[in-house]
Amino acid sequence: MGKLAGKKLLLLGERDGVPGPAMEACLKDSGAEIIFSATECFV
Amino acid sequence: MSKVGIKSYSYCLNHAPETGSHYGGTPWEASHSGGKEQEYLNALPQHLQSYDHALHYAPNQTYIGGISYEEFEAIPAPWVDKPLPDEKSKRYGKFGELMPEDEFLGLISACDEFELVWLEKSFAESVSKKLAEDPVITEAIVKRVVRPKNMQELADIEKEVAERDALPLYHDNKVVGCVRMGHPTDHCLTAHVLMENLAGKASGVLALLHLLKNSGLNPLDLDFVIECSEEGAGDVGQRAGGNFAKAIAEVAGCTNASGCDVRGFCAGPVNAMINAAAQVASGARKNIAVVAGGSIPKLYMNSRDHVKKNLLALEDCVGSFAVLLVPDDGTMPVMRLDVLGKHTVGAGGAPQAVTSALTFEPLQTAGLTFSDVDRFAPELQNHEITEPAGAGNVPLANIKMIAALAVMKKAIEKPAMMDFIKKHGTIGYAHTQGHIPAGVPFIGPACELIKEGKIKRAMIIGKGSLFLARLTNLADGASFLIEAPEPVQAQAASVSKDDIKAMILEALSEIAGKLG
Repeated sequence: MGKLAGKKLLLLGERDGVPGPAMEACLKDSGAEIIFSATECFV
Repeated sequence: MSKVGIKSYSYCLNHAPETGSHYGGTPWEASHSGGKEQEYLNALPQHLQSYDHALHYAPNQTYIGGISYEEFEAIPAPWVDKPLPDEKSKRYGKFGELMPEDEFLGLISACDEFELVWLEKSFAESVSKKLAEDPVITEAIVKRVVRPKNMQELADIEKEVAERDALPLYHDNKVVGCVRMGHPTDHCLTAHVLMENLAGKASGVLALLHLLKNSGLNPLDLDFVIECSEEGAGDVGQRAGGNFAKAIAEVAGCTNASGCDVRGFCAGPVNAMINAAAQVASGARKNIAVVAGGSIPKLYMNSRDHVKKNLLALEDCVGSFAVLLVPDDGTMPVMRLDVLGKHTVGAGGAPQAVTSALTFEPLQTAGLTFSDVDRFAPELQNHEITEPAGAGNVPLANIKMIAALAVMKKAIEKPAMMDFIKKHGTIGYAHTQGHIPAGVPFIGPACELIKEGKIKRAMIIGKGSLFLARLTNLADGASFLIEAPEPVQAQAASVSKDDIKAMILEALSEIAGKLG
């Protein structure tokens, strides 16, 4: 648990950067609630 | 056979600023925002690039082969304020051409089989004459531009737009034609969908025609076409049933070819190359042209940011390419089928996992390491377009990840990373046309560099944003290696059991004859 505990998170990933599912995996044990996660492509 | 020859390649651009500023995805969305984005829409026309400026733009000339990749690499960005000299800014390059928009509209009309495209009579006659000057445009195509049913009076065109949901086509800020709906209720056959599909078809035709010219292949000798764009052609019963490939082959006069489409977002072209190479290697097809037309919706995709930052909106060209694969005869650069990168379902989406699946794992299988690949070509978007829009420098981000992985795998030392990036990376020069920049623009330059003895090996990498279709959260990726040819050992003439039996019977028959 860290400073994100109890927070609500919106995750916007990018295909050639860090995709949404990868961020979700990293934040799984953070205690934060992921209320939206998506990956977009801008190219 | 695990290698196939890369016989030839073509790369073309169709300048389409007026079509793009009306029907590119971002301008179209803005024009349907109920007036919320009027400021952007009003400003966009002042940010368009003229055809002449597009011709002098270094990334465009690199794409069509007007300048070599090495020449391009020597020009530091930004390129927009460094126009090339006139002698390096021609319409036709070694790989293809940059076609003006009026002729593109004529070519779109020539690709119409269902009276969907109407061009104003004098405009059609004018562009047919211009197209006749293009060395790859056939007489049959020129005649199709001036078919009576595709030429109408301006008043009839305006009536079709006003009363029957046709989409107007523009040149010099005037209506010069329209694309009509294909069905009154089928949402897959609206004028908008048909315009996108016909533009994709027409740009694919141009790439295939240049491929035939570059390779010297008689159109009648082309065996198969695999098309790999991101458009979907179909009707309400089968939304993306296809088939662009055969439609493109038909207009290009490839009467003896058939074809099919391969899809996978931006990973489509690399997957299509692998698919085609496997068919040629197995002997199933004697040759295959991998072809893709370009995308109208991608035009001016990032132009909100370009306008906001008072920059030229450079996303004004519909891109296309074609590659001809033939059996390896030891004389031309080859594509290896035993070293293929595959992003599996279980590989996960973490950048390190994706990069490993597409580079390290296939190289390791072949007993190669990162430094054995002279150039990595992973997604070649022009960063002068993407950086102002906040999408970063995509090719640089990818080669940095490859270099970091090389350090992790102890293939290079950490202090050598920057040198590796510079030496083994590629600079993006392709339009943000989705599948078009996906590694494949470098097939041509890589083959040229191999033929000149300057490199031995290049890796082409494509990545597809599958998650955009909302079927899965997964992305996809695929890669393959291009290498210098090796002499092909002459295959010993094989003799079958049946041949031996026939020879014995013949000999016995001769002996029997002599005995008698």
